[in-house]
Amino acid sequence: MKLKLALSLSALCFASSLFATPQVGQAAPAFTLMDSKGQSHSLADFAGKTVVLEWSNHECPFVVKHYSGNMQSLQKQFGTEEVVWLTLISSAPGKQGHISAAKADELTSSRNAMPDAVLFDETGVTGKAYDAKTTPHMYVIDKKGVLQYMGGIDSIPSAKVDDIAKATPYFSDALTAVLAGNPASPAVTKPYGCSIKY
Amino acid sequence: MSLFQRILVFCLVLLALALQSVQAQTSGWVKASHLKAQLVSDHQDVRPGQKLKLALHFIPDEHWHTYWQNPGDSGLATSIAWTLPAGVTAGAIQWPAPAAISVPPLVNYGFEGPTILVSDLTIPSDFSGSQLQIKAKVDWLVCKEICIPAEASFALNLAVTQTSVVATDYLQLFEQASQRQPKPLQLQGRYGVQNQKFSAVVQMPEDLKVSAFFVAATELVDHAAPQQIDWLDGELLLRQQQNTYFNQAPASFDLVLNTAAGPVLLQLQHESATQTSEPIVANFSLLDWMVMLALAVVGGLILNLMPCVFPVLSLKAVSLVNSQNSAQHTKAEALWYSAGVVLSFVLLATVLLAFRAAGQAVGWGFQLQNPLVVGSLAYLLFVLALSLSGVVQLGLGWMDSGQQLTQHQGYKGSFYTGVLAVVVASPCTAPFMGTALGYAATQPAFAALAIFAALGIGMALPFLLLAWWPGFSSWLPKPGLWMEKLKQWLAYPLYLSVVWLLWVYGRQQGLDALALALTGLVLLGAACWLWGQLQLQQAGKVSGLFALILLIGSVGLLWYPEPGAQQLKKTDHAEVWSEQRLKQLVQDGQPVLVNMTADWCITCLVNERVALDTDSSKAAMALYNLKYLKGDWTNKDPAISNYLRQFQRDGVPLYVLYWPGQPPEVLPQILTPDSLRQALEQLSSKQPLITRQ
Repeated sequence: MKLKLALSLSALCFASSLFATPQVGQAAPAFTLMDSKGQSHSLADFAGKTVVLEWSNHECPFVVKHYSGNMQSLQKQFGTEEVVWLTLISSAPGKQGHISAAKADELTSSRNAMPDAVLFDETGVTGKAYDAKTTPHMYVIDKKGVLQYMGGIDSIPSAKVDDIAKATPYFSDALTAVLAGNPASPAVTKPYGCSIKY
Repeated sequence: MSLFQRILVFCLVLLALALQSVQAQTSGWVKASHLKAQLVSDHQDVRPGQKLKLALHFIPDEHWHTYWQNPGDSGLATSIAWTLPAGVTAGAIQWPAPAAISVPPLVNYGFEGPTILVSDLTIPSDFSGSQLQIKAKVDWLVCKEICIPAEASFALNLAVTQTSVVATDYLQLFEQASQRQPKPLQLQGRYGVQNQKFSAVVQMPEDLKVSAFFVAATELVDHAAPQQIDWLDGELLLRQQQNTYFNQAPASFDLVLNTAAGPVLLQLQHESATQTSEPIVANFSLLDWMVMLALAVVGGLILNLMPCVFPVLSLKAVSLVNSQNSAQHTKAEALWYSAGVVLSFVLLATVLLAFRAAGQAVGWGFQLQNPLVVGSLAYLLFVLALSLSGVVQLGLGWMDSGQQLTQHQGYKGSFYTGVLAVVVASPCTAPFMGTALGYAATQPAFAALAIFAALGIGMALPFLLLAWWPGFSSWLPKPGLWMEKLKQWLAYPLYLSVVWLLWVYGRQQGLDALALALTGLVLLGAACWLWGQLQLQQAGKVSGLFALILLIGSVGLLWYPEPGAQQLKKTDHAEVWSEQRLKQLVQDGQPVLVNMTADWCITCLVNERVALDTDSSKAAMALYNLKYLKGDWTNKDPAISNYLRQFQRDGVPLYVLYWPGQPPEVLPQILTPDSLRQALEQLSSKQPLITRQ
């Protein structure tokens, strides 16, 4: 009985290590998602490149705060050949923030955004695999597919544009470090924003 | 949208400020999107040196909510920035008890409906102004499905007079606010974060029937994960999965408990704040490592004397001495044997490290926690014993009378003898090995591998010595006819090992499974006998086939479907160990002996018989009012694995003596009848016990 319990416990531990939350230093969860152009992208396609995941919801005030210029300038600054920037939308159909492909493209052009692709995660499977909780929520995956950063875009959880300049730019620092081949520090920070509408 | 709203809010604020030129105990309502707010004082006139309360009163639209100090997975806590006259200070927000707002898979903590956030204001006694001008800039986030951030300023002007006047209009509001606040309790609570789990222990003499808890620290617990709440023997135990975004454990934080009598508030301290024994941090130290390497070599050497290894190895040694081969050949043999031993140890270490990496609390001896392995090992030793007894000749085996192995099997034979020596040695985790292995398990991979390799070298050392210094062989007895007799005698320790393994198997699987395994043993005996007949050419090929069938049948009997019901553990004068019980006893200032044991650990059993379960030790325990806690690691128990790790051990036995006011003392792994009494005498002379009335 006790043995059985111990066995099932260890099985549980094993299972939870398989399905549990992503961890920095471990392989980033794989995904295959459609983008706004109807093209399918897998994480594996970007082996050899540093991948940025940005969870978004265009109406969320915290996203609006960073799309007042900060997000665009980050996309521009890191818009090199070696970085792939993916904007993900995990809002379920019918939920707030769920948009059509055309709307996504329209937003990209109207906001002067420069993601390499806008991906739709309508089932929320990818968002949950990454334990993505808020919009915005940022991830950096290195060339080998290892998760190197997850968390907030910066250190001041507010919806005020003024705070961007005062904050420590966690995400930007992390991406810079990873591109230089160094570990991000801090590698895990508190994500802040609106909840993702799974 | 938000820009428009912000402009609207600012207009409203300007309007509100304009209306505030007169003194009042309220700022008046500020209306924002989906929420209206006012700042209220509990006094209309105040005097220097007094404390007053200010309430930020939120009334959101129906089903809209604002957030607690820990907003949960998303959201934002309301914040207030005060602008106050010199000397006047404001305290932190006294948060009402929060509610969990679930938006699967996320959980937030906040407040639906009207919410009152109270802060204390202190006016210094030398305050000289005639007016107290209070300004508050408030940030909040109000959400239903979508979220709307807002920022508003509130202003209050209160007259400063010699006598303060209570604002009667708002008495009820402040009364409501205090009702909604969790009742502060003077309870001691500590918490820790380990193995991806948040755990807390609160000293709670009476069960308050806690139904939920709220952790004020952000990113500490996984808010959506189930909460484990238990009240046991005066302690409240809380457990929840750690947050993915956890990165630092705060020294202390507020904890709100929903009890049958309403919400209560207490503080949790981090375990390090009050811990007496520092947890083991795996810091690599070169000196320690060298010492441990040396210890591992010695430990490996001693393994040769273990009863379940000795018969095998002594035969090997004799064969080495006996062999007619050149010194060159003997050296090569010894090297091959050593390679087999060392490689097996390194392989075991690799497996152990892989398990460790997988987050499994696995200790040495874990092989023996698998009944199938225990049963198979019993079978293996039984066959070996039969061959020693002469029932069957393991012509192709490694344990033949020696000659065959060295001559026919050559280097390969030597190599596999080394491998098998390690396999057979594993049940006999010798006292010296325990320390080295525990150390290795907490070290970087390369250091751990080196420790295991050193164990292997130690075990192979006698053979290397024999090969290089043939003079060493003069220490060994001369070969002769006695060897055959010795071989037959040596079968009996092996039979006893089989009995012991089967006993362990029985404890794990129950009586029925044991009966099946014993039946298997009979079949195995018959198979060996038939095979032996075949070897002597007294039987035909059919017998060989029959022997094979019997062999397969016997192994099949080990596949007992269900582990039998665990028998009640006999604990004699010991209590069953649990982390909570130990913690409680130690906190009560009790001397405690912890004994970590397992049925398959012979050293443990011997120690208990000769040193712990004796009349003299029982008398010593009674004399010093010692509580005796026993943990059983026969089947892998993660709590015990964790405890072992705290003392850099990865295997049993482990004896720890707790004496009030002293750091926990680890007793030797081999106990003598006097060990306990002596240790107790020493400790009590260092720090006499204060007897409780």
